[in-house]
Amino acid sequence: MHDKSIPFEATIRWIKKETRDTATYALKINSREIQRTYTFKPGQFNMLYIPGIGEAPISISSSPTDHEIMHTIRIAGDVTTYISRLNAGDVIGVRGPFGSNWPLEEIEDRDLMIIAGGVGIAPLRSVIRHILMSGRRKKPTSRAPIGRKFILYGAKTPKDMIFRDEFPRYMDAFQVFLTVDKADPEEYWRGEVGLITGLLNKVSFNPLNTVVFMCGPEVMMQGMTKEMILRGVPGEKIFISMERNMNCGMGVCGHCMFGPKFVCKDGPVFRFTDIEGFLGIKEI
Amino acid sequence: MTKAKIKKDHLKLIFDRLKTSHRIIGPKVEGNVIVLAEIADLRDIPAGCKEQQGRGTYRLGKNSSQLSVASSQIFSFSVGPDSFKRFMSPPVRENFAFKKSKKGISISQNSSQVREISTAFIGMRACDIAALRLLDKVFLEGPVKDAGYDSLRRNSLIVGINCLYPGDNCFCSSMDTGPVIRDGFDMAVTELDDSFLLEIGTVRGREILNGLPIDEVSDKDLSEKVSKIEKCKKMIKKSIKVSELPWLIYRNLEHPRWADVAGRCLACGNCTQVCPTCFCNSSYDNLQLSGISKKLPELSGARIRTWDSCFSTNFARVHGGNFRPSRRARYRQWMSHKLAYWIDQFGSPGCVGCGRCITWCPVGIDITQELEALHAR
Repeated sequence: MHDKSIPFEATIRWIKKETRDTATYALKINSREIQRTYTFKPGQFNMLYIPGIGEAPISISSSPTDHEIMHTIRIAGDVTTYISRLNAGDVIGVRGPFGSNWPLEEIEDRDLMIIAGGVGIAPLRSVIRHILMSGRRKKPTSRAPIGRKFILYGAKTPKDMIFRDEFPRYMDAFQVFLTVDKADPEEYWRGEVGLITGLLNKVSFNPLNTVVFMCGPEVMMQGMTKEMILRGVPGEKIFISMERNMNCGMGVCGHCMFGPKFVCKDGPVFRFTDIEGFLGIKEI
Repeated sequence: MTKAKIKKDHLKLIFDRLKTSHRIIGPKVEGNVIVLAEIADLRDIPAGCKEQQGRGTYRLGKNSSQLSVASSQIFSFSVGPDSFKRFMSPPVRENFAFKKSKKGISISQNSSQVREISTAFIGMRACDIAALRLLDKVFLEGPVKDAGYDSLRRNSLIVGINCLYPGDNCFCSSMDTGPVIRDGFDMAVTELDDSFLLEIGTVRGREILNGLPIDEVSDKDLSEKVSKIEKCKKMIKKSIKVSELPWLIYRNLEHPRWADVAGRCLACGNCTQVCPTCFCNSSYDNLQLSGISKKLPELSGARIRTWDSCFSTNFARVHGGNFRPSRRARYRQWMSHKLAYWIDQFGSPGCVGCGRCITWCPVGIDITQELEALHAR
């Protein structure tokens, strides 16, 4: 195993601009040795490091079966701003992978509902791609999950929708429902306008047989969880990915604490019932 | 041999023996406070000193009759602001050095952070040793082992002292961490009336005594130790009801008392700095001015890890927001972590009852009282 407290070098292979403030960066690890030992699961994150600027925790948006490690990054702070100015061929530091993952074993014979808000779709794209790829494989041992699958995605405007060009492909395996807070009058928009909770009325699903993977703004996740539970989805089957100030990634710096949980080590993906008691408490 | 006895004058022999192979850290008076520092001579130890500790006060003086300490006692004082934490997880530490050039970045781990010199810690108290074991859980038993802490820990020898005269803010007996040292030591010392009773915890502890003039331990000595410890327990004034934890806090996360304590708390973070188990830290890049030039390497510096505190304004800050802007939330985070979250995270409370946070709080906030106040509806 490589040392997770020291960054290793990775080269940006290509950059794909997703929206005005978000882009996907494909990384290749420079060291062959680390390439061999580096494995991750969908839902985990890396600490991206720019010497002289700092580190930022960024979830991995590619599937473990992809050839490159992808990160979909929205410009938010110093590190992400700096990264947005980099070009293909530039080298950055990476530590990881850290944290818990989406429990893929939960969805084998169940329906899956993926709910994302804004850039929160990045860690979920890892699951989406994983499912799309495993469905294509011929081996009977790695058959695709058999349940029905839904994607519910909300963004500010159609222009802020990340991976919009990939949604047609997602429709091979998923029923996709999109909504925006505000539709652009200049642009043709066929999806919904309004809160993401409104999309639930369009989806016909069996709540007792559904597993939910959710990532987005905390307010959205709280509202959505409440709505799902009202409709009968068991709290144990709702998984949410949290965001906090991750600094070390290993549970030794204390910054990301959320109640008794270290978001970097016990999370970022939590079973809803494990953190239920702390979700509504202000400034916990 | 697990127990031995030496004459009081022979303590110097042990000290000299340790000095040949170790850097010795022990209690020493600096600026009218007993701190932990390197001591060159046994006379550095503030023998017979006794401090008066209160909520937000600390006064060091020679032991007087009113403090009811036997006049011949050497280790009559209790804990000052320092703990092991300062040495095992230093306040400022270099994670790695970096150089960045057009070709890429190179990262090198500084070898100087790994100190190979053995350090002997003398005069550590039961609460401090308990705290060290808690830090082990944080730094060594997580998903990634902290290499710097590990090497400092391995190269340390612990000579503990059983407390016979507690400080005024101590409550170790209720946290079940003291005053008697039960494990985690190389050698534990009890100061009897005319001699020192030595208990040996490890082979390394036994080696120190090789060839020194030691006496047999009698049953009378052991019963003297027990009665002195019992006497000490009776002198401890403060307490926390551990059986109520963590639920007393989990049930009261929205208790009005948090707002009340926020009105007194200055959010200075003193309590977190003197606490022997507060481990929170921050890493940042320290750039060398000389490293920034147009020539290669373009930039060089080091990534530094420093102690941080959950009382810092930006402790829970993420892009575009702060999860704990109010002082109420920050005090609640600290105390809830100590007394409740820690139990979920590491299996026991993060408080060892040393009372440092009470003594060194500039406004005298008392954690035992704040917990008690959560009972009020």
